[in-house]
Amino acid sequence: MEHIIQQGLLVGVLATGVRLATPFLLAALGEMFAQRSGVFNLGIEGIMMMGAFFGFLVTFFTGNPYFGLGSSLIVGFLMGLLMALVSVTLKAEQGISGIGLYMFGWGLSGLLFRLYVGGITSIPGLGPLHLPVLSDIPHIGSILFNHNWIVYLAYLLVPVAWFVLFKTPWGLRVRAVGTTPEAADTLGVSVNAVRYQALIVGGVLAGLAGAYLTIGQANMYADNITAGRGFIAVALVYFGRWNPWGILAGSLLFSMADSFQLWVQVMGITFPYELAVVLPYVTTILALAVSVGRVWTPAALGRPFDRGSRG
Amino acid sequence: MKRLVLYLLLIMSLVVFTACGTQQASPSKEPTKETPKETKSEKIKIALVLPSTMDDMAWSQSMYEGLKAVQEKMGKDKVDLAVSERLGNAVDAGAAIRQYASQGYDLIIAHGAQYQNVLKEIAPDFPKTSFAYGTGFQAGPNIFAYDPQAQEGGYLLGVLAAMMTKSGVVGVVGPVEAGDAVKFNYGFQQGVTKTKASVKVRVAYTGSFNDIVGAGEMAKVHMDAGADVLTGSSQQAVGAIRAVGERPGKYWLSTDMDQSKIAPNTVLAAQAYHWEKIVSKMIELRKQGTLGGQHLILSFSDGTLELKYNDKLADKIPKEAKDAVEKAKQQIISGQLKIELPKK
Repeated sequence: MEHIIQQGLLVGVLATGVRLATPFLLAALGEMFAQRSGVFNLGIEGIMMMGAFFGFLVTFFTGNPYFGLGSSLIVGFLMGLLMALVSVTLKAEQGISGIGLYMFGWGLSGLLFRLYVGGITSIPGLGPLHLPVLSDIPHIGSILFNHNWIVYLAYLLVPVAWFVLFKTPWGLRVRAVGTTPEAADTLGVSVNAVRYQALIVGGVLAGLAGAYLTIGQANMYADNITAGRGFIAVALVYFGRWNPWGILAGSLLFSMADSFQLWVQVMGITFPYELAVVLPYVTTILALAVSVGRVWTPAALGRPFDRGSRG
Repeated sequence: MKRLVLYLLLIMSLVVFTACGTQQASPSKEPTKETPKETKSEKIKIALVLPSTMDDMAWSQSMYEGLKAVQEKMGKDKVDLAVSERLGNAVDAGAAIRQYASQGYDLIIAHGAQYQNVLKEIAPDFPKTSFAYGTGFQAGPNIFAYDPQAQEGGYLLGVLAAMMTKSGVVGVVGPVEAGDAVKFNYGFQQGVTKTKASVKVRVAYTGSFNDIVGAGEMAKVHMDAGADVLTGSSQQAVGAIRAVGERPGKYWLSTDMDQSKIAPNTVLAAQAYHWEKIVSKMIELRKQGTLGGQHLILSFSDGTLELKYNDKLADKIPKEAKDAVEKAKQQIISGQLKIELPKK
């Protein structure tokens, strides 16, 4: 990897940033579906912790990261289902049930870690996927084509999510129940079923984002491994205006700023570190503040659907 | 039906949380019944408040193991040990500390610099209880402040890093620029540059104590930028060690405790903290009637700090490197070598 120095700071910053954006991108795309259907899930952080933990645990016992990945998806599915049960069927206050899910995920993953693992241990992770020809292109090769495949999957999901949301009947239903659930209900769309589906999609993607942290990035697990990344993903959904391309822009902006400050510090460029570590947050807030214009939000966001009541 | 499901969920979460609670307490064998008054004179009740978890392979675990060693030495029936974890937020920790104090614990150790002000506030309300915290130096009538001279081990590891690096660049994955971490980094930098002035030390901070993924990413950036020997403190360092372990020919130098288990082929040496000696001293002082007021120092001169080499990599370290480290160690112990510290 020393060859990166010769190619200069820029390549290093870009290569690191592309990698750092992955968990945000995965979690935020999933959360976008949930919010488009009218439910905001603040429990993403908890789902990510559970996904990270089960991905780690199963890899630890089987030695195969793919089994770990599979179990993360299942756990994400179940956590999404739990959130749907509480906030759609039981109509609980969404902000509170999301925080509850976060605490549940943190507590349970920490407890199970102590019961079944009991100490910090390394696991084999997913190595970088070396693409013939592409990875060897000078400069660009190491930025774009020297990551493990979850990174590619995350970027591939951006156009896929856009297509699903805007070009498929299911996407139309998701958007309909998130803006005018009464109208969708009148037309025979089951509002609650669509919300269940959207929350589960969000859960699965958050589980994958968590798995990426343990299997793709850290190759180990420790308590509170997500360290707030799930909450940043929720913020990025707002930043991206509930649009996959906007979310991509937000994730990249945040991660590039983060990567930039890492490189600035490491290269010994004189810069107060306190300012460096807040740089990604400040950049994101500034970008949000500068991009004026009327902010559109899914009209029924946060409102449980009750047939017969007038919203 | 709806109510039933709600109750079910409530019960489920209760089960999980109580399971968490008992799990945290069970290794410490905390008795639930009140201990009879008459045994109090010989039995000591110690409570430990930790910022992370007691199995974090770093700062918190080193103290927990120190307390376990004390309990082992004095006898299980002589020491009651209770532990509260994940209390990095000093305000939350305050609630736990106050509760332990009112339950009659004799010695309450809040393991972090951030607990200084909380203790100052609580300690006057419980004049018969001893409190302790660190890294710090401001003691109170019933507050001990313990203070590892992390710069000493940092210096020695710096000497080793300078002798081991081939690229001429060494990297520090720092947590937050405060307390123990700053002292360690200062010592490390001086150790490197006084041994080989041509070696570059690059210091960076993540801004967090427990972001293991972030620490791993920072270690990767350090290595991409040319560093081949790395170090760093706090509980998040394990993430950095794992990242370094993935690249052959790169080495890590540990602090807080021996972390070679995470990456046996990567961790060359470690500065280990022997908390058990400090805890024993506090217990001894308390027996003699001193409830606090002392600034307790951990250093190489009294053996409370120690440099441990990783046996598995012993042949990777040339003899002259070990000799240079040993020489510096003797100079630190004899007081010949003064390590500069940031001005307070």
